[in-house]
Amino acid sequence: MKIRYTLYSLLCIFVGILLVMVPSSHAGTNDFERLRKESANIKTIQSGFTQKKIMKILTKPLISEGRFYYVAPDSLRWEYLKPLKSIVITHKNITKRYMASGGKMVEDRTGGTQAMKIVLDEVTNWMKGKFDQNPLFKTTFHEGTNTRIILTPTEKRMADMIEKIEITLSKKTAIVKSVKITESANNITQIDFNNVEINQAINPSLFQDVE
Amino acid sequence: MKCIPVLILIIFILSCQTLPLINPSGSGIKENTLTCPFPFLEGKYRLIHSIENRMFDETQSVIIGVTLVDSSTRNVSCAIITAEGMVLLEAESCKETLKINRALPPFDSENFAKNIIDDIKLIFLAPEGKLQEKGTLANGATACRYREENGDWVDVINGRVEGTAVKRYSPDGILKRHIKFNKKSGNIYQNIELQAHEKFNYSLLMNLIEVQPLKRKAMQKEPSRETKK
Repeated sequence: MKIRYTLYSLLCIFVGILLVMVPSSHAGTNDFERLRKESANIKTIQSGFTQKKIMKILTKPLISEGRFYYVAPDSLRWEYLKPLKSIVITHKNITKRYMASGGKMVEDRTGGTQAMKIVLDEVTNWMKGKFDQNPLFKTTFHEGTNTRIILTPTEKRMADMIEKIEITLSKKTAIVKSVKITESANNITQIDFNNVEINQAINPSLFQDVE
Repeated sequence: MKCIPVLILIIFILSCQTLPLINPSGSGIKENTLTCPFPFLEGKYRLIHSIENRMFDETQSVIIGVTLVDSSTRNVSCAIITAEGMVLLEAESCKETLKINRALPPFDSENFAKNIIDDIKLIFLAPEGKLQEKGTLANGATACRYREENGDWVDVINGRVEGTAVKRYSPDGILKRHIKFNKKSGNIYQNIELQAHEKFNYSLLMNLIEVQPLKRKAMQKEPSRETKK
């Protein structure tokens, strides 16, 4: 059961990431049917990201940087470039996770890959606009200078692991700003996206080669 | 047939592990002026390492480890984080108490946090035990042997060939941990290898991402210091 919740918390991170990629014209409407229709227009997404990990044990955030690629219907590459190189690729229903070891990328031999597959399969559902079908989270929309989407767990056990996920969308540019995952008051992951490109060509080899 | 008990006895004797012999360079501990290796932190530091876990000669996983160590209080805090930012373990040890703030599978077993803290102390903090022997090993390396309160033996070694190392043995001389500081100059915490001898042996390769001194004391760079007796 704990593993299931761990997977769901990982899932939350990806949900947040993908939600933030969706154009904001629908944000705040809470119209999930419209969301599903608009999501159907997204064929590719690519973006850079900076991840800041904030914890009590750290006086300054731990900064990670990477790249994100998605091609509909189900190809995804989530790549960290530093400080730790790691890549998760899902393509043609096969998910693989790679880590840097001895100067080359090696495949993850732990059960983590299977866990990631479960996560990414769910992500694919969300890419089809099925955001409102997870009973573990309540979704609320907040309009302001930016649009914020807040996901809060509906069950205590999940709430013990993740307090909330806060997604900020730019009203003007219609996409990407940041996602903030609050695991507890002293444990926050903030992901800021940059150079987001929607429906631009992506080299298919990115979903086959890790180097 | 008569030789079978003798063979069994030989096998039994050979299977018993013994601590490596340390040849004293003086007539006794007090008279021995040999400088003990000291690859340990002095002061309060935060270290961030990438940690590669190897088992059966294959890399199993790579994670980020954050360690907060204070040599004066021997307080240790640690966190294990995935590249994706998920905190798998967060624990702190203060004197005799261990507080686990967060532990997700597979890091939520009863003794996991305790073992992690013990390994961190073995790597970064000087042994708490009493100095028992000092001298040289058969290969010429300088070695100081400490006896811990729980009966374990800790050898701190510095040699030309193997560099600086720390070894922990059980009370009956079975090697449990072997820590190698692979960087011979500069920051010795740049590249650390921990070999664990358990039911299933594994090793951790630690590469330094960042180090932050939290007090004014300088980082220990020289792997030797006169040991107080």
